[in-house]
Amino acid sequence: MKKDLNLMVAGPQGSGINFTSDTFAKVMSRQGFYVFTNAELFSTIKGEHSYFRVRVSDSEIASYSKRVDILIPLDSKSIILHKDEVSDNGVILSEDKIDDNRYEALQYREILQKVAAKFNKNLSELNVMKNTVALAAAVKMAGIASEELKKVISENFATRKNIAEMNNAVVDEVYASFNSKKSFNLPKVTKSKRMLINSAEAVGMGKVISGLKFQSYYPITPASDESNYLESIMDKYGFVVEQTEDEIAAINMAIAAANTGLRSATSTSGPGFDLMVEALSYAGMTETPVVIFYYQRAGPSTGMPTRHEQGDIKFALTAGHGEFPRVVIAPGDHTESFYDTVESFNIAEHYQLPVIVLLDKSMAMSNTTTEIFDTSKVRIDRGKLILQETSNYLRYKLTDDGISPRSVPGIKGGIITVAGDEHEEDGHIFSEDPDNRITMMNKRMNKMNLVLKEIPEELKVKFYGKSSNKTVIVSWGSPKGAILDALDYYPEISFLQVRMMEPFPSEEVSKYLKGKYVIDIEQNYSGQLADIIKEKTGIEVNSRILKFNGRPMAYEELVDAIKDAQKNKKVVLTYA
Amino acid sequence: MHNTYKTNVEIDWCPGCGDFGILNALTLALQELKIPNENVVLTGGIGCSSKIPHYVNVNALHTLHGRSLAQGEAVKIANPHLEVISASGDGDALGIGMAHLVAAGRRNIDMTYLIFDNGVYGLTKGQASPTLPYGENIKSIETENIKFPVNPLFVALASGYTFVARSYAYNIKHLKDTIVRAIKHKGMAMIDIMQPCVTYNNINTKEFYDARLYDIEASGWNPVAKSEEEYETKVSQAVLKSMEWGDKIPMGVFIQYERETYAQRLSKLIKGYEERNMVMEPIHKDGKPINDISEIMQSFI
Ligand SMILES: Cc1ncc(C[n+]2csc(CCOP(=O)(O)OP(=O)(O)O)c2C)c(N)n1
Ligand SMILES: [Mg+2]
Repeated sequence: MKKDLNLMVAGPQGSGINFTSDTFAKVMSRQGFYVFTNAELFSTIKGEHSYFRVRVSDSEIASYSKRVDILIPLDSKSIILHKDEVSDNGVILSEDKIDDNRYEALQYREILQKVAAKFNKNLSELNVMKNTVALAAAVKMAGIASEELKKVISENFATRKNIAEMNNAVVDEVYASFNSKKSFNLPKVTKSKRMLINSAEAVGMGKVISGLKFQSYYPITPASDESNYLESIMDKYGFVVEQTEDEIAAINMAIAAANTGLRSATSTSGPGFDLMVEALSYAGMTETPVVIFYYQRAGPSTGMPTRHEQGDIKFALTAGHGEFPRVVIAPGDHTESFYDTVESFNIAEHYQLPVIVLLDKSMAMSNTTTEIFDTSKVRIDRGKLILQETSNYLRYKLTDDGISPRSVPGIKGGIITVAGDEHEEDGHIFSEDPDNRITMMNKRMNKMNLVLKEIPEELKVKFYGKSSNKTVIVSWGSPKGAILDALDYYPEISFLQVRMMEPFPSEEVSKYLKGKYVIDIEQNYSGQLADIIKEKTGIEVNSRILKFNGRPMAYEELVDAIKDAQKNKKVVLTYA
Repeated sequence: MHNTYKTNVEIDWCPGCGDFGILNALTLALQELKIPNENVVLTGGIGCSSKIPHYVNVNALHTLHGRSLAQGEAVKIANPHLEVISASGDGDALGIGMAHLVAAGRRNIDMTYLIFDNGVYGLTKGQASPTLPYGENIKSIETENIKFPVNPLFVALASGYTFVARSYAYNIKHLKDTIVRAIKHKGMAMIDIMQPCVTYNNINTKEFYDARLYDIEASGWNPVAKSEEEYETKVSQAVLKSMEWGDKIPMGVFIQYERETYAQRLSKLIKGYEERNMVMEPIHKDGKPINDISEIMQSFI
């Protein structure tokens, strides 16, 4: 199977340990390896136990492994908590001797002392560079030359040359004095130019190329990373990111900006989306092209704010009072997050309805090597937007396809009247005529049929493996990675990824699942997709593999669970 | 002269409602300012008062309860070349929408906020609104009001509104002039408009206000501040004035101070923001995106 190396850095939150794992990941990615990271944090800023995994391989990987080869514990608690995950041939790097045959000494103090002396500093001033000691040891054990690491460190501290110099001196000292008995060299690969990104960044880039001009948000994990990334490039591309007073303002502002003619979005997580629901219904009623990026985390209520879950799919499909059209798309990896972002704006503007893009904590915080996006494939469709003088304008004019020409404020002859009350073609609300009600409901709801008819199959579902296989896994969103990695062990099993959740592609889903032994895999308590499939297609899945402990799936636990699922109706995963 | 800012939509307010006065004053103000109809956006929340966008011949966003101002702000951020006016009832503005009212002061967006202040939730049949005075037992409520009222002027002053005024639905001249001044003011302007509700509020009536309202500017108050220092002194005096409520009720402009607007502040973060018109900027050419992301993709390698 795939050759891989698994690093875990563990210790108190806020001590900068993610510097070690992030830089390690970057160095390995630059070498041409495939990298997948997983971050486990507490919802506090400093002190609590946190750990970061980096999986590296010479072939494509899309999930983390249970197996740890190099454990770098930055406190004694981390040794106790994680030593069982370290493989027999693995290494536990620690300064204090422990009674374990996997133990190897890493003399942080000695190394830092030497470098401190060289720079005429006190040891205490170099304490923050403990992370660099750990990093250099890991990179050395992976068989990578010190120059490769020093290059990345110099880039990281480009504006603080003396800090870079000291850190690089630490690297040299580690390479000179630290000699592990073990090495973890991976097969040689050729250098490549892949990005190391998470979905928050992929969505951010998708928004930029889509011509986003207005983004609103209220801070919430794990969604605000995306908005903060956009803030860092808003000057370069000339768009506005507005931090609002609450999520109600965020969605209402995004809606108003959309109705003013901008490509407009907001990003949030479960608690924030709860507050947005009334306005979502308004967007459906007013035919507003707004896109909501919904990064799920473990609920209910505040739940586990920094942990992973896919518990909100049914909610996203039904949130909002009354019946109105919406499109819900669920990308399963960073590349899909990018292209789906582009499509979400096209769909929103073409059909004039709210679109929800469902993401999650695992995708938002896991850095993965990703091929450069092929931007020549990107197309922009603004639908029936009018930006020139017009006449006899009616915002909700009845047309053959139910989609009205869309003017915005500032267009001569194109004054708009937008209303969340039931309205007539002109947007006014006063007749409450029962026949008009039927006409307008039909106008809006018919868009769902259009979407189903016009959206190509690859945006609705993706099928992996042989169609003749008798067993098919069905899933959605981020479990895709662990499923694809686990299926290396099961060539006799195929995988159907459902990508468009609303309107539900019943026809395509039936086509791939009918008559098969179906295993549903989801990161929630009940198997919500399985219920939806039953409701929409009548197909009852044979088994459900579920995980709801707040941690994403390791591919090994799926390998085991898929075997169990061929006998049992339900398998619950518990690995953390 | 024909008023080109009125629509011919049938108006469903109760006969004698103060809202008619506000509609007249607003359309007269627009008429006077001659801003092209298509460049004006009027937002409303939900309530009797919040239906006003349907009656004014400009772009109308009839939004959700409490969200008139948040949407109005976003319209102005999205296109700073538009003239944006948001309308709300007192429930809309000071109850369900209060968070936006405060946040809007902090931004100081160049727009105008009209509060139709009738002491009741009109559209839901007269429950006490946040401005109904303590102890009042208007005919539409079962027991006397046991909550203290919120003071819209005080809140606006505390939140950083750079133009704060009170006017009166039955003094069309004063209201029209105040709206004109508010629109011309570069920054966030709020007008708290005393608006008798003839159906539910039998205490704060036309007779009540006619006998009490006096014009602070006619009585010597100059609301204009020309420096940060002068603004600080005047704001505290304006706060004191805003607290008057009894036999005499002050109206007029309490503070008027032009300081950096939100658009000017955004221009510091986003080059050329204020001059640009993001709405009219093309984002694609024959379907191909105009933004080039190759540089940012490179930054992740
Ligand atoms: C979220 C929500 N809650 C409650 C209502 C019901 N509602 C409609 S109008 C209104 C009060 C309106 O009062 P105000 O804003 O003072 O306007 P007025 O009718 O007095 O002009 C309420 C509570 C609603 N439409 N939406
Ligand atoms: Mg009211």
